[in-house]
Amino acid sequence: MTQTEDLLKRLPTEMGGLDAGPIQRVEHQYAPWEKRCHALANVLDIHKIVSTEEKRRGVESLGAEMVGKLTYYERWIAAFANILFQKQILTPEELARKMEEVEARHGKSPG
Amino acid sequence: MNPHDHNHAPAPDTGDAKPGYYEIMETSVRELLVEKQVIGADEIRRMLEVMDSRTPALGAKIVARAWVDSGFRTRLLANGRAACEEFGISFFEDTQLMVLENTDQVHNLIVCTLCSCYPREILGLPPDWYKLKPYRARAVKEPRAVLAEFGTVIPDDVEIRVSDSTAMLRYLVLPQRPKGTENLSEEQLASLVTRDAMIGVVRANAPETKEKSR
Repeated sequence: MTQTEDLLKRLPTEMGGLDAGPIQRVEHQYAPWEKRCHALANVLDIHKIVSTEEKRRGVESLGAEMVGKLTYYERWIAAFANILFQKQILTPEELARKMEEVEARHGKSPG
Repeated sequence: MNPHDHNHAPAPDTGDAKPGYYEIMETSVRELLVEKQVIGADEIRRMLEVMDSRTPALGAKIVARAWVDSGFRTRLLANGRAACEEFGISFFEDTQLMVLENTDQVHNLIVCTLCSCYPREILGLPPDWYKLKPYRARAVKEPRAVLAEFGTVIPDDVEIRVSDSTAMLRYLVLPQRPKGTENLSEEQLASLVTRDAMIGVVRANAPETKEKSR
């Protein structure tokens, strides 16, 4: 199989059957914001705003580079923001303004 | 090395630490959704309380009940979600739950090769290794080798069934009741059932040998 064929047939998150090293039995305590992010996912699912399937697709459409470099819940919140933009529930401008405001609360200059 | 293999440890939560970029994004998305009345002001907090109540101890209770109550066991295997709801466990996603029974002939293992689907209503949030590439990649290809890495050796004449979870269908393994547990209470039985036993990577623990009992 050529390399581009493989890219076409396998999503960046699709792992089943690939070669991989030993199981890394790592665990970490979830940070409070990671749990809040998960709670947000559940609440959005309950409200029929973002289904599990849409969330997974949202993560996949971040592309291989972001899927590889962002942590698990970083991918989720980035995907949620994109999905909420697409559904016109939020706008990028609103989010940017709110992020500046939240950042300012912690005495941190934006950017 | 594939970039997926990185183990991302979060920044330690020191309480007064300045939040990172993605935490600021999470706070902002949440606050905007509340301001726009897309979600209620209290919903995230209430959901966090529900999530905190979902731990492997809950799954262990279900397993122990199935071991002592054959009627419940039959209902659990027929429709996992309905039996768990009967047990008082609500589901927060539109997903089904299939409970897979381990026997002398079959050992079950669950995985999500595509992402991180997991019976979270029953077990809480999954361990990191469940979400990382080696487990997801290899569980479907060489389950015996994967199980051996968890210290679980399955005889060659026992069939290993690997179930790949999806957004719509989650699995939970019903481990075999250990031998020598005939006289244990339901609560004592539940204490033998670990998270990893309900994922299928280990067996339920054997009861402690009580040397002093006569």
